[in-house]
Amino acid sequence: MKPIVLVIATVTLMFSVTFAAFSQDAPSADEIVAKANHAAYYQGKSGRADVKMTITDSQNRTREREFTILRKNMDEKDQEQRFFVYFNSPADVRKMVFMVWKHIGQDDDRWLYLPDLDLVKRIAASDKRTSFVGSTFFYEDVSGRNPALDTHELVETTDVYYVLKSTPKDAKGVEFAYYKTWIHKETFIPVQTMYYDESGKEYRKYTALAVEPVDGIQTVVKGQMEDLRSGTTTVNEYANVKYNLDFPDDIFSERYLRKPPREYLR
Amino acid sequence: MSSQSTNNDASKNNPMVLFSVEHPKLVMLIVGVLTVLFAAMIPMVKVDTDPENMLSHDEPVRVFHNAMKEEFAMRDMVVVGVVNDADPDGVFNPDTLTHVYELTQFAKTLQWPDPDDPSKTKGVVEIDILAPSTVDDIEQAGLGSVRFEWLMSEPPKTKEDALRVRDRALQNPLLRGTLVSEDGKALALYLPLTSKDLSHRVYVELQKKIAEFNGAEQYHITGLPVAEDTFGYEMFIQMAISAPAAMLIIFLLMLYFFRKLTLVVSPMLVAMISVIWTMGLMIGTGNTVHIMSSMIPIFIMPIAVLDSIHILSDFFEQYQKTKNRKQTVLYVMRHLFTPMLYTSLTTVAGFASLALAEIPPVQVFGLFVAFGVAAAWVLTVTFIPAFTMFISDESLEKFGKRTGEHVSHGRLEAWLYSVGEFTYRRAGLIAGASLLVVAISVWGMTKIQINDNPVRWFAPSHPIRIADRVLNEHFGGTYMAFLELEPEQSDPSLAVSRLADDMKKAVESAVESQKNDLPAIETLSKSLLSWIDENTGAASPDALVAALNEKIDEQMKGADFDRQDAWDELRAAIERSALALQTFKRPDVLRYISDFQQKLASVGVVGKSNSISDIVKKIYMELFEGDKDHFRIPDTAPAVAQSLISYQNSHDPDDLWHMVTPDYQKASVWLQLKSGDNKDMEKVIEFVDGYFAQNPPPVPLNHRWYGLTYINVEWQNKMVAGMFESFMGSFLIVFLMMTILFSSPLWGVLCMIPLTITIGLIYGMIGLIGKDYDMPVAVLSSLTLGLAVDFAIHFLSRARELHAQYGNWKDAAGRMFGEPARAITRNIIVVAVGFLPLLLAPLVPYNTVGVFIASILAVSGVGTLLILPALITLLEPRLFKTSSALGLSCNCGVCVTSSVLSVIIIAMNLREFAKLDWGTLTWISAALIPVLAVICALLSRRRACAAPQTESSKGESNS
Repeated sequence: MKPIVLVIATVTLMFSVTFAAFSQDAPSADEIVAKANHAAYYQGKSGRADVKMTITDSQNRTREREFTILRKNMDEKDQEQRFFVYFNSPADVRKMVFMVWKHIGQDDDRWLYLPDLDLVKRIAASDKRTSFVGSTFFYEDVSGRNPALDTHELVETTDVYYVLKSTPKDAKGVEFAYYKTWIHKETFIPVQTMYYDESGKEYRKYTALAVEPVDGIQTVVKGQMEDLRSGTTTVNEYANVKYNLDFPDDIFSERYLRKPPREYLR
Repeated sequence: MSSQSTNNDASKNNPMVLFSVEHPKLVMLIVGVLTVLFAAMIPMVKVDTDPENMLSHDEPVRVFHNAMKEEFAMRDMVVVGVVNDADPDGVFNPDTLTHVYELTQFAKTLQWPDPDDPSKTKGVVEIDILAPSTVDDIEQAGLGSVRFEWLMSEPPKTKEDALRVRDRALQNPLLRGTLVSEDGKALALYLPLTSKDLSHRVYVELQKKIAEFNGAEQYHITGLPVAEDTFGYEMFIQMAISAPAAMLIIFLLMLYFFRKLTLVVSPMLVAMISVIWTMGLMIGTGNTVHIMSSMIPIFIMPIAVLDSIHILSDFFEQYQKTKNRKQTVLYVMRHLFTPMLYTSLTTVAGFASLALAEIPPVQVFGLFVAFGVAAAWVLTVTFIPAFTMFISDESLEKFGKRTGEHVSHGRLEAWLYSVGEFTYRRAGLIAGASLLVVAISVWGMTKIQINDNPVRWFAPSHPIRIADRVLNEHFGGTYMAFLELEPEQSDPSLAVSRLADDMKKAVESAVESQKNDLPAIETLSKSLLSWIDENTGAASPDALVAALNEKIDEQMKGADFDRQDAWDELRAAIERSALALQTFKRPDVLRYISDFQQKLASVGVVGKSNSISDIVKKIYMELFEGDKDHFRIPDTAPAVAQSLISYQNSHDPDDLWHMVTPDYQKASVWLQLKSGDNKDMEKVIEFVDGYFAQNPPPVPLNHRWYGLTYINVEWQNKMVAGMFESFMGSFLIVFLMMTILFSSPLWGVLCMIPLTITIGLIYGMIGLIGKDYDMPVAVLSSLTLGLAVDFAIHFLSRARELHAQYGNWKDAAGRMFGEPARAITRNIIVVAVGFLPLLLAPLVPYNTVGVFIASILAVSGVGTLLILPALITLLEPRLFKTSSALGLSCNCGVCVTSSVLSVIIIAMNLREFAKLDWGTLTWISAALIPVLAVICALLSRRRACAAPQTESSKGESNS
């Protein structure tokens, strides 16, 4: 993690001086955001990955969770999208399922299936920025935040990154005052996101720790979210990443929460 | 002894005194230089106001306390209570809640750069603040749908919105009684701190912010950290007011008695210089100024002037006989040197014996007061004679009592004379009355209640005391204690075989439920069952799980999907059995804790308790539409786990780790107590021990306490035991000294009588009036010892001299109630009145010290003047038979008594400092004492003792 931050910092410093020269050719902030949103969440028409999530707290105590993510794009416009997240371990949350129907123009639908309580729990829209299964990632981080909720401005262009500052259109319901994203100029992968509170203090930080090509698509295979206040960090490692699989639409339904589609989960 | 002999006897003076009289300038110079040197060290002062330091850093309870605070990320908390009596809805109106919101926002900013580590900040821990705008409320939103929303994300605009905040908080058992009072009228903010020594700073900042609001509500700030830190702060202010005020009053009284400013200045200087030397040395040797050591000046001052008052008194009586200051000083010093040496030595012994208490600040306190008393003695026998040499005889023209003059102190003199008469005529009555006092005192002492509470160190009118009272009326309690629970380490082989059995059952039931979907499971399960049997010798349950997982991993490779799925199910089955190892996910354990908490509420002082069980119950109920029937622990460990994961989908997922560790091997129950009294905490401890003994938990659990309220009990217990031991130690040392000083065990006993009665009476009174035996009272026992014996030493040594002079007690007693009794009376008045300003201090320990010093001096003074002459009257024949001028070794009684006392004292020291236990020491001591007794007997019978003894008795009868 440290070297990447160092590289980012150095690069930022070196090129901030010449930023004016580059900024002329730069695309608009909204174009960059759209491409970044695509690179992060909409690659291929569908995708899957096995995720190993490791939560490490300030006392260096770790907890692990393993789950499989299935995703399917429902249109070509990087808008409607569905997610099915199936938990394999630890044993006491095995078969737990998190499902998202992502919408544009209205609140996303989110469900959590708790097998041992035999309960399908609807997650309130207001809870999208609460912890995802006790990690430092939020629900919204798993499926992606709707770019239209924020106004974006390009604050800096370095040799490697576009740096965007995003401010919420409606400050209610979000805990940040604004966030900044460092977007890789070639791949448009958001390499770092830093969240700031009302006093302008950094308190939360996402970093893409490793990017690899999968089926010709640049894919984040290791990502990290740090809570700078509590000192808790969550690292997600992605394995068995595959794109463009044929998932039927109906596996993303309440019926399959109780009876997961085994054949698509491996 | 007549004044004419003064010159001839000059050589009999101690060389220190003679030197000082001969070279006054040199003495002044040396004292001056030393004082400057010691004073130069004082600015290096380091202040430490943390009562936790009453225990040494490696004390097991303290190590555990810190480890648990770390593990459960618990912080010391400042509690801000908000109460509004003017509004029928209490604080739940838009105006007050807006202020509460602003105050919370303000509290978040109370962070400062950490001087030790500039990358960090210290102050309020923002993420752990408990306030309406920072806590999640778990809300109902239909079946299986719960919502986490800030209880008060923004200040409410209407009355209805304000009441909704109240109602939601009251419905949440995690918040009710903690954040919002049960009556729905008040609320409390809990501000955790990075370290508690910031609490006074936070307190002051919050007060400033609160002053900006002009609402109808009142704010009360309390909590042990605030009380402790604020006490430390106010204590230093008090030191700067009380100590000088006491000095001033002593000075004025002495001026009244002795009428000569230049002479009266000298004892004041002795007191100040002793304090400067002591504090300089203490700070210079790297000791911090702690709650205890801040009291050093106030202890040294009265003791330092006591000797000087005897000198001045005698000087006052004698001066006009010679009109020569040098002769008078030498005369006075010759008389007083030995009594002063012994009174100082006994006081030093009394305080130095505090080193026997296993409490570092008490040890420092004892040793440095001992040093200060020794310094005061050195100054008294050097500085005062030297100082006197600078006063011209002309200016002393009118000083002192002229021969035949009876005017100025006539009344006191006449009164004392009649007291003397009374003690001679009514000796039996006095002895009888003393016995009665002793009996009452013993009865009183049995009623002593050991108790302390740092919040009660403030006067009842202090804002912290008021806050404490108001908040504990409204809320579950502002005193925090924590009970850590963890499973007992059981025999691993037993645990493995139990787990293996559970696994087999789980595998069989998995086969039963899945064989229709996954036909492969039946054959595969046979292999798994055999592996379980093969691995029952595993080192631990975890090793068993790991071994089986390894086998399954091997089989998974290359297996077809159906077999993979079957293996998945089987793996899940064994892993679920292993969940029982996660103690605090087990429903039976959580129910046990829940029942235990309900019983805790019956103790009375426990206003509320919070644990993982409360969280599980609340979230389980909310998952089922808030149905009250679901306010319980679900039936399986996975159901518990999934309830908890729902709880963790909140804004603060790490909140759970204040209650349980992530491996679910340790849990912490947070108790809110309404009282911080140690006796109340002890009641809770006793209850909990009893509960765990009578209601064995489903798995054997160990319970251990931590938290400030508990730590206070721990150091109090140490203090009481330590003080008793140190008191016994100094009592024996003083007795030994007296036996040697008077070369007679009987005189030694006589000397101990007024002191024993004083201590008995003082502590008896404490028991009778119901004052708690707390930290200051405990420490004062050694002060009592050092001071109370002083009058007896002065009285008895003069009594002996006068008896030798007059040959009978009747005449000697008449003289005793002249100058010697006057000196004692003056001492009582000067010091007792001098410490009255302490009664005005807003801090209770200062009042206690003031009342104590006054009563000790009064009781021991009166005791000395009444009881000693009465006893001498009764025991005259035994006391004055013959006194040996020979070495102590010739007096068998003295020798045996001293030997026995020495053996016991050495044994006590060995126990404390060489950590030997009493068992061994008792045997060694028991063996040693008869040996010493035989040696004593032989020594006193040897020829060298026999012959001159007759000579000396001859000499005595001649004189």
